[in-house]
Amino acid sequence: MQRIKFIDQMSQGKLSRRDMLTKASAFGVGMLTLPSLPKAADVLTCLEWAGYDDPSYFKSFSEKNGTPNFSIFTGEEDALAKVLAGFSADVMHPCNYSVNRFVNAKVAAEIDVTKLSNWKDVFPALQTADGVVMDGKVVMAPADWGNASIAYRPDLVDDDFKKNESWGIFYDDKYAGKVAMLDSELCITFGLMLDGMSYKEAAWATGDKLKAAADTWGRKCTANSRFLWTDPTEVNQGLASGEIVAAYAWNDTVKNLTDQGIPVAYARPKEGFFTWYCGLTLLNSGKADKAMAYDFIDAWLSPETGKTLIEGSGLGHSNTKSFELADKQAVAKMGFTDPIQHMKDGTLFIQVSDQVQTEYNKVWGDTKALMQ
Amino acid sequence: MRNTFRPLTLYAALFMIFLYGPVLMIPLFSFNDSLFATFPLKGFTLKHYGTMAANTGMLAALQNSILVAVCSSLIATAIGLMAAIALTRNKLPGNSIILAAFSLPLIVPSIVFGVAILIIMLKFLGIPLSLWTVGAAHVFICIPFSMTVLMSRLEGFDKSLEEASRDLGESAWMTFYRVTLPLALPGVISSLLLCFITSFDEFVLAFFLAGTDPTLPVYLFGQLRFPNKLPGMLALGTSILMLSTILVLLAEFFRKRGVQTNIPGDA
Amino acid sequence: MMRHTEKSAWMAGYTLLTPAFLVMAVMMVAPLLALLALSFWTQNGFEIDRTPTLANYWTIIEPSDEPFFWMGIPFPFKYPPPAVLMLKSIVVSLVATVLVILLAYPMAYFLAFRIKRNKTLWLVLLTIPFWTSYLLRVFSWKIVLGYNGAINSALKSMGLIDQPLEFLLYNPAAVAITLAHAWIAFTVLPIYVSLEKIDPSLLEAATDLGDTKWRRFLRVTLPLSAPGTIGAAMLVFIPTVGDYVTPMLVGGPGGTMIGNLIQELFLRQNNAPLGAAVAIMMMLVIGALVAFFFWAIGFRKLRSRVS
Repeated sequence: MQRIKFIDQMSQGKLSRRDMLTKASAFGVGMLTLPSLPKAADVLTCLEWAGYDDPSYFKSFSEKNGTPNFSIFTGEEDALAKVLAGFSADVMHPCNYSVNRFVNAKVAAEIDVTKLSNWKDVFPALQTADGVVMDGKVVMAPADWGNASIAYRPDLVDDDFKKNESWGIFYDDKYAGKVAMLDSELCITFGLMLDGMSYKEAAWATGDKLKAAADTWGRKCTANSRFLWTDPTEVNQGLASGEIVAAYAWNDTVKNLTDQGIPVAYARPKEGFFTWYCGLTLLNSGKADKAMAYDFIDAWLSPETGKTLIEGSGLGHSNTKSFELADKQAVAKMGFTDPIQHMKDGTLFIQVSDQVQTEYNKVWGDTKALMQ
Repeated sequence: MRNTFRPLTLYAALFMIFLYGPVLMIPLFSFNDSLFATFPLKGFTLKHYGTMAANTGMLAALQNSILVAVCSSLIATAIGLMAAIALTRNKLPGNSIILAAFSLPLIVPSIVFGVAILIIMLKFLGIPLSLWTVGAAHVFICIPFSMTVLMSRLEGFDKSLEEASRDLGESAWMTFYRVTLPLALPGVISSLLLCFITSFDEFVLAFFLAGTDPTLPVYLFGQLRFPNKLPGMLALGTSILMLSTILVLLAEFFRKRGVQTNIPGDA
Repeated sequence: MMRHTEKSAWMAGYTLLTPAFLVMAVMMVAPLLALLALSFWTQNGFEIDRTPTLANYWTIIEPSDEPFFWMGIPFPFKYPPPAVLMLKSIVVSLVATVLVILLAYPMAYFLAFRIKRNKTLWLVLLTIPFWTSYLLRVFSWKIVLGYNGAINSALKSMGLIDQPLEFLLYNPAAVAITLAHAWIAFTVLPIYVSLEKIDPSLLEAATDLGDTKWRRFLRVTLPLSAPGTIGAAMLVFIPTVGDYVTPMLVGGPGGTMIGNLIQELFLRQNNAPLGAAVAIMMMLVIGALVAFFFWAIGFRKLRSRVS
């Protein structure tokens, strides 16, 4: 029997039982001790979005302190769950809509802006924006921002829409199955705005008003969407192929598509377009030297980083100087020429209380769950 | 069986098309000169491979994934084999309860395990997150797969073979090497393969339990935020496909050229 | 014959099981106990109120006078999402399981009985597509089924259609196809393993007794491979009920599944205790379904026939 011979040969260098046990236990001990080697606290640990761990975003930090360690996350809630479970990191990269969760969970520390050399050049509107400042304390240093509006294919939508750009397209049966909204409770918020509420009122809606809006607007927008997107790649592909003709999108989508020669316009909806912003937050579980954390944040606020962001991905940057440094054409592709005025024109997303946000999330979750 | 059953061969061909057809879109569009993976195709380009080679983070993640997948499939299969032998050879009290318990990892959604294991690792055991913690979790989710395959292989084999070997004076180990293992080998290979692809593709546990070294699925999921990174991801997928195919063909080639021994289980 | 006493055989058996027990204890029992405890607590902002309560379970089953109608089926619950999504997930998962078994069985049969050489090579070939990332595979399905995808482009260039077919993607059928593709290796391999060990003399005996090929298949091969096939079906059915990534990616806006609800409750909706209760209910439902299935087909008898 050849196969048995094979096994026989394999076992020629046979181990005695004792050898086997020592090897195994050595391995077992190794498994327990290896990870518990003390991690040098002279390396900064950052909780970061995948892709934002690119060294070009924090050049000045690396020159001084070397490469930081990154723990990659794909959503802030997941990152928060990790921190709450006891994972220690020095810096985290939340956004306007999520930073309060970190602050309320008491894992974020106040940022001393006097230690940031680039702070003075940050857009004034961002310096005091919701979520950058909470209870009078700076808890997030804004770094990257972008707009939220409707990207559409001018060759595929009706002239009516082009003349009268509106968030209403996501609720218009004429475009059923031809649009893609973000997988977000904004589906309900925008509906309330179409009902005549201001953005602020709509964002703070609760109780029966919210439920009723979810049942009408929320359902409509979900049903009319070809898909609710969770990553920009989906939207880009959909608009490129013509599968969808309009979508909730950030500036980068417009840049990517026009770069590839696909006609796409970025709307200025009559209800307003929005600005979101993300930034760096200090975590109090960090083990590295705080000075390093400040170096890292400062590097992110530098105009050089801004230039990389604007030219590389078509997203905005918090430093006003970035727009002077960056290629003018790249700025134009974002849909404006004067960043200061543009920042004024847009509506900054606001933050609501944890309670309202949780209720909103629940109502939105239920709406999606009960789709027929 | 001399009479070849043509329809079945045809089916196998169709099956392979179903299996490989969609996957071949990955290489196709990795050479396409566009950010977008839609027809019609634009020009031919190799530039996405340059992008891929420059993406050190992605390559490091790939390396992590291979390491974790190889280790956890070996360990899970070893554990699964021992357990399968125990459960099929001996009528243990509580046999069926043990069996049911071992399939529990399949039922619980991995998000639940992810969060719970995370807390247990960090808060109760004080083990910092690393590739080891990911590997441990992958061993755990692979065990049901490994046991299913190995038990159905071992079940119903003639116990007397092993007893004969014992009677001939072989030690327990030698009996295992010379009788049990060869019998189980097709199951062992299947188990290794299943565990490898399970671990290589696992996202949720890897996400929660990875420290500062992400595995490939975690890294790729994050890359979806950047539409212009997609072609690089396609190039990576293509490279993995090609490399693994070449490896397999090479192994087959050398096996044939080497000693004219059949691979055990290749009866 | 040096027969071991039964007791020492048990000892040996339990010794072999020790590593598996250890892994299970740390990785499964502890998390499950934590989950169970959590399901009896209440979320209060970021704090967890540890007074034991059944409120979470009551939330899931609390009846309502006005039933919620989903696909024409009445759900008499005040909070219908868990029940609705449970049913939806089970149906999708069942369809995918049946599909994948139907697709896999002939292939496993082909591997076990038609392939004489290089079996290992074939096994590896079956798994190579899975060495690329799952995300990329789902993505490639989108390319195949998509608007300007492979199928639509082919049909268009053949002049069969002038507008792309939109029903190919973002619906339950797309979910079933993608799931079937994703799990195919997990069914072919176990079925192959159980077919491969069938004693050829049994098949010869059946032929000698005058059975046709089909009768021989139905009387010998199918029953003997049934335990492996059922095991494979379980490997697909059980985890896909809790899967939420695939429906999210190709299922369109109505693609929410039970696993998705649990994930949302744990993370976005900040209600881990209710999430834990839903998870436990889900495990109980799946467990009951599987147990019922095994009881209905008389699995014990099947297995004893094989051994």
